[in-house]
Amino acid sequence: MTFTQIFFYFLAGVIVAFSVLSVTTRRILRAAVYLLFVLMGTAAFYFMVNFFFLAAVQLIVYIGGIVVLIIFSVLLTSQINDRLDKPEMAKVVIGGLVAFGGLIISALTLWQYPFTASSAAEGDYSVAEIGRQLLNYGEGGYVLPFEVISILLLAAMVGAIIIAKRIKPKTDD
Amino acid sequence: MSWEQFLLMRHELLLILAAVVVLVAEIATGEDKNGINHTAIWLMASITVVGFLPAPVGKLFGGMYVVDSLRLAMKNTLNIGLLIVFLQSARWLNSKENQGRVSEFYLLLLASVIGVNYLISSGNFLMFYLSLELTTIPVAALAAYEQYKSRSAEAGIKLILSSAFSSGILLFGLSIIYGVTGSLDFSLAVFAGAGSLGIVGFIFFFSGLAFKISIVPFHLWTADVYEGAPTNISAYLSVVSKGAAVFILILTFFSFFRELQDVWQGVIFATAIITMTVGNLFAIRQKNLKRFLAFSSIAQAGFIFLGVIGGSELGMAATVYFVLIYVFSNLAAFGVVNIVAVNSGKESMEDYNGLYRTNPRLSLVMMLALFSLAGIPPVAGFFGKFFLFTAAAEGGFYALLIIAVLNAIISLYYYLLVVKAMFINKSENPISGFTSDFYTRLSLVICVLGMIGIGFIGEIYDYLQSISFGL
Repeated sequence: MTFTQIFFYFLAGVIVAFSVLSVTTRRILRAAVYLLFVLMGTAAFYFMVNFFFLAAVQLIVYIGGIVVLIIFSVLLTSQINDRLDKPEMAKVVIGGLVAFGGLIISALTLWQYPFTASSAAEGDYSVAEIGRQLLNYGEGGYVLPFEVISILLLAAMVGAIIIAKRIKPKTDD
Repeated sequence: MSWEQFLLMRHELLLILAAVVVLVAEIATGEDKNGINHTAIWLMASITVVGFLPAPVGKLFGGMYVVDSLRLAMKNTLNIGLLIVFLQSARWLNSKENQGRVSEFYLLLLASVIGVNYLISSGNFLMFYLSLELTTIPVAALAAYEQYKSRSAEAGIKLILSSAFSSGILLFGLSIIYGVTGSLDFSLAVFAGAGSLGIVGFIFFFSGLAFKISIVPFHLWTADVYEGAPTNISAYLSVVSKGAAVFILILTFFSFFRELQDVWQGVIFATAIITMTVGNLFAIRQKNLKRFLAFSSIAQAGFIFLGVIGGSELGMAATVYFVLIYVFSNLAAFGVVNIVAVNSGKESMEDYNGLYRTNPRLSLVMMLALFSLAGIPPVAGFFGKFFLFTAAAEGGFYALLIIAVLNAIISLYYYLLVVKAMFINKSENPISGFTSDFYTRLSLVICVLGMIGIGFIGEIYDYLQSISFGL
């Protein structure tokens, strides 16, 4: 076993362990912190396969942005010391069985599939090239999804505003 | 790429323009927001009309965006749906509680329908996923629109959580599909050699989409969300969102997943049966009309699958035709429920006892809508169901057909329960008579014309048949 393989299995173990912890803990802030480690592990995978840009984006957006946002909203909305209610035994058993069944089916089929190495690994993955692809409108360009995301973000912001904005109903007097 | 090529995207570009106008109108108007109602409605009306003008077809952005006559017809169908929803919302938006957030309402629905249009035109799973999110997320905010009702907030959170969950499953499926076929492009998929992993990926993809169409067993959010959300948002979810998901389902099944035909026929066979049956059996028990219409729309989704399963050109035409009729029928039913709720605050079936005596015209519209949903001959719903049944029979799915006919009979029973309440049942204190605003009346007139006209104008079906494709 090479060092890379050992490191890979170590990372995979960390990710699985923290994923399970993050959905089983009853304290919401801890769940957010466990999620942080899951996302960091994923970033480490990207570093392992030399996708440095993607790894950096993962670190900046998910860890720097999303986890911090989650922690902020937890601090703003709920009591840190509150614990979630203990789930009912029946729900735990049924949920666990369904999740385990799904895991077995996915794992078995993934195991049996003869994956071949992708030829895409030799491509040019520099930031400059990614930037050009993002704004390219021709074959294989991504400018349309890029623009559609901007509409999605606008709509999401307006949606957040109408939920958060307190409306004083107009009174007749 | 030249400027003329942007004309291919005219539906989306016009809708984006309308969204920007609505956004700016908010700044330009003062206290009275009624002007925004007029602006948004007439903009949407002109966009709907422009959509029917003949247009070039083709591909853009290296095949990420595809437009052909069939997709144009699908977009026009759903744009009509949005227009009717707009018409039915004006009165409700003028109420005191909603005055402060009129333009946001229109902006979010426009954003959602931009997603619908891109979804139908997507030629690539990346665009597919993004536009699917764009159709759902704004509507989740709108489901929570009525802040002063806790049920509305509950509907919003249920919709966003169930859609996030379904998106997760869908994305997992897409990543497997990408792994085995090596392409996200609808036209380049090769499933040969994908084996069982390809099938697992497909099942995950289907489950994610089934949440949006509310197919049993992925329907659990539907009734609660429809009941809690404002009525016009429930109407939008049950018609435009669902219609878009059905359209993209049939488009991908007939192109990207054509090699998996045996698999998806089996999946559709099973889900169509349980969807129709469960939807119908639960609809019988409902006392609240919004919940009632929710289960009825679940059952209708099961019927739509009769058109998909054969994989034929006839089936595709029947599906689009049925959704077109369903837009008018379901929006007429929701329109009546909406205007009654806005005027009297009542939405349970007992409240409708004796409605015919006080509001005869509304009751007639409701009756026509329910007849159309049930599939009773003079109304267009009959022709829609008839073609769906024909498509299933042509494919040789007789067992499915028998179950569907039995379900159609059950559905007749509960649709007639509402008609009975309105026309026959006596009531001590019926909903008092009221006059609706101009826009609501206009929307109901459009619905009635659609429900009666589409069945008798044979050219509509012939045209849809001429642009459809099979496997």
